[in-house]
Amino acid sequence: MRWLLRLLLSDADRRAIENDLAELFELRRQRLGERAALRWLRRQRLLYPIHLLMERARAAFGSILAGVPHLWRDALHGVRSLARTPALTVTILLTVGVGLGATTGMIGIVRAVLVSPLPYAAPDELFWIYTDNPPYRFRFSVVDYRALEADHPAFSAVAAYQTTSVTVTDGGTAERVTAKAVSGSYFPLLGQTALAGRLFDPADDTRGDRVAVLTAAYWARRFASNPAVLGRTLTIDGASHTIVGVLQKAVGPLERDVALFTAARWAPPKRKGPFFTMVLGRLRPGVSQAAAIDALRATNARLFPIWKSSYQDEKATWGMQDLKSSVVGDTGSTLVVVLAAVACVLLIACANAINLIIARALTRSRELAIRSALGASRGRLLQFLTVESGLLTAGAAGVGAAVAAGAIQVVTVYGAGYIPRVDEVRLSAPLVGWLALLALGSGVLILVGGLLPAIHVPSRMDHSLGSGGRSATDGPAARRLRRALVAAQFALATPLIVAAVLVLASLDRLSRVSVGIESGRVLTAAVSLSGAGYARDTDRESFWTRALERVAALPGVEAVALADSRPPNQAGQSNNFDLEDHPTPAGQNQPISTWVGASPGFFSTVGLRLERGRLFDERSLQDDVVVVDGAWADRFFPGQEVLGRRLKGGGCSSCPWTTVVGVVGTVKWTGLEASDRGTVYFPFVDLPNAFVLLRTTADPASLTAALRQAVHELDPGLALSNIATGDDLVSASLAAPRYLTVLVGMFAAAALVLSVVGVYGVMAHFVQQHTRDIGIRLALGGEPSDVRRMVVLQGLRLVVFGVAVGVGAALLTGRFLTTVLFGVSPTDLRMIAGVPVVLVALAALACLVPGRRAARLDPAAILRES
Amino acid sequence: MARQTLQHFELHVLLAMLREGGETYSVPLVVALETRMGRPVAQAAVFIALSRLEKKGLVTSRLDERGGGRARRYFKLTRHGLAAVKEVRLEHARLWRGLGRLLSTHRI
Repeated sequence: MRWLLRLLLSDADRRAIENDLAELFELRRQRLGERAALRWLRRQRLLYPIHLLMERARAAFGSILAGVPHLWRDALHGVRSLARTPALTVTILLTVGVGLGATTGMIGIVRAVLVSPLPYAAPDELFWIYTDNPPYRFRFSVVDYRALEADHPAFSAVAAYQTTSVTVTDGGTAERVTAKAVSGSYFPLLGQTALAGRLFDPADDTRGDRVAVLTAAYWARRFASNPAVLGRTLTIDGASHTIVGVLQKAVGPLERDVALFTAARWAPPKRKGPFFTMVLGRLRPGVSQAAAIDALRATNARLFPIWKSSYQDEKATWGMQDLKSSVVGDTGSTLVVVLAAVACVLLIACANAINLIIARALTRSRELAIRSALGASRGRLLQFLTVESGLLTAGAAGVGAAVAAGAIQVVTVYGAGYIPRVDEVRLSAPLVGWLALLALGSGVLILVGGLLPAIHVPSRMDHSLGSGGRSATDGPAARRLRRALVAAQFALATPLIVAAVLVLASLDRLSRVSVGIESGRVLTAAVSLSGAGYARDTDRESFWTRALERVAALPGVEAVALADSRPPNQAGQSNNFDLEDHPTPAGQNQPISTWVGASPGFFSTVGLRLERGRLFDERSLQDDVVVVDGAWADRFFPGQEVLGRRLKGGGCSSCPWTTVVGVVGTVKWTGLEASDRGTVYFPFVDLPNAFVLLRTTADPASLTAALRQAVHELDPGLALSNIATGDDLVSASLAAPRYLTVLVGMFAAAALVLSVVGVYGVMAHFVQQHTRDIGIRLALGGEPSDVRRMVVLQGLRLVVFGVAVGVGAALLTGRFLTTVLFGVSPTDLRMIAGVPVVLVALAALACLVPGRRAARLDPAAILRES
Repeated sequence: MARQTLQHFELHVLLAMLREGGETYSVPLVVALETRMGRPVAQAAVFIALSRLEKKGLVTSRLDERGGGRARRYFKLTRHGLAAVKEVRLEHARLWRGLGRLLSTHRI
């Protein structure tokens, strides 16, 4: 409720009220005791916003409402009348409320992710500057950044950072956290300020001190927000850093999950690569993007000849993309699909509500007729029904607010891994405005639908009062509306169900994709060697050798290996290279593929089969040999012998040739959905970061503690991080499509239930209204089976029409799903065909219930009653 | 100033203010009203009534902000406020005149 108080009161008044409440609490505590006083305080805090809202409403609408007679009485009567049909009222409140809440929640997410500007100073001027090597876009190298830093006419400032995992050691405990090594211009470029101490500035680049800035979240978690840590030293990757400041609390997507920043100390490079540096630029006011790209390319063209000996890809140039698009990526299409799905559910819920209201009006036709006979004008009846619909909509909006708040909570907790900026979603004032707008729209729909009976009341009054026969709601307009609504429900539900079937099929295809390894008995964990103890190659090689021996000796371990990557989507690096047999023609891009560093035992540990040639041995690094996978062999040497082929990695013309000595099975390294572009395995010997991979004899998760203990015994300063079994990794890579499937599937199920209930309601009403006709037909010798068939066919006529429109809509809108589907075409008729069949079958079952009831009617009893 | 209509609870708050005298804030008013009326009074109701009276020009307010986040809003009866209370009193006196005897003998 505090956010509501913030909306309704000024800061000062809120504080004054809090103080007054605290004083009254104290008085009550002395008089009545702690518990009673606390109860009182809770009630006061809960009721305060309600009092204020009522006062605002009174002030805003009091004069208008005062002019409308009997409004209060109508409202009271409306509440009583709705309370008399609790099942119907609750159904409308819940269905429309859930629709409103889910739509509002999704609008909130779409606004935060796609619409809201990034929380940085003048965010529209911020761009990501990258190496453009179509179809690839990759980061800068330090060489590139230094050149751009010296020459950036189109940008008022540029900054760079490298995100890494570091080990923070404080006393006896070591912890792996995410850190960013940033240039001194990083914080000024983004316009960020310090919560305590200072941030880096460009002078830090030249000073070269080892300094660190903490994020507010890490400061709170690790140091309990103690200001005394400023000036203290912290051991990061074995080196002492002085903590100089804490970053402001409100951070953007670039700082998400980051614990600390260090001032970058990038050594002067000896070669062009590696390309690990993210570069940001702030576009100068008045400079167009096209002009900026031209300027970037000109700088790159001047740089290229200087470093050509270590990078020959002449076609690769520089490009830029606005920072928001690069942060959001392709999440937008997924979000829009889900938003469209919830909007469909809301419309179906509204159609259902209208149908229920019209059905309810049937039972009240006498009441309305009596009111009319007693002198109520058509206007008065309209006002009463308007108030009633308003009450329902207001109630639904209340349910919607709760659902929206819950939905946002759920999405921010479970969607944090794959929806960027989702932590920025709040139930803010504009979002409450959206909820109000949607509620108003739904209210108008429900009102117009629900009002139709009232429009016909006076003309049919005598009939209603006289015979108890057909009511106002059975007028041709109401009948047509109800049927149209059922058809519309099916027309809306069909594309939604088609979408659900497609994403489900897509998830199924994705989960059947072979990762290429035996993931069932594999345990993996990351270890990073940092600090002075591991400065030399030999130190690292010696540690890894000891680590392999120590872990292999653990009970339950069958095999152990090291690699710099983890399947199915954590590839260490992508490299360009030149093939001896297919040299890259001038002006063409060098080929790129995934490169994985693997120790000799890797292949047997993960169950990767050798297809041809041989695997690594202890001498492989010195021999300059690599192993490739089947996809790589098929890509570059289809139908030819790949063993013995030679290549030069990284575009290094002076490096010796590397020879292919073996071919292994293909493994997914860049995601299950990615096409197989080939992988090169090189010997892992002395890299600083590695994944330890274990093949276990029993449940791999059960070895976690033993593995942690073994690494701790080898070096207490090292921390094990990112521990996961092979199956965990595969499952985690499916989380995003699974999340989408669950969401769309949930909405499709809701749409299906509402639509089937809708057609049932209309046909039940039909039978009720035609009881006498059916009775006469049966009395004249009509067959019950004919009656049953008639009812079912009447219902199906509406459904088939709606489903046909829905299938057309699904085919037309299917292309929006293309980006979220894998191995399934949105217009695959074999996939879609089952949906209308199932829908019509379910609708037929729903119509069969009133149909059977009609067929069992006793004609004698009906005719007697008539 | 045009005559302002007073709601029942607004009159109660004005009377409590009169009793407190000078500048006051919501806490003494809540306590006074609860003591006199013998039932709990919501602080929100008093605060809202005071805000409404201020809009009608019957009371004035000022915010007293002290350090450490402490703040208090003080209210004071205006000349118009006092006149409104007197007028209601006279009106009630006229309405009540001669009714005391009838009330004591009336049977329903």
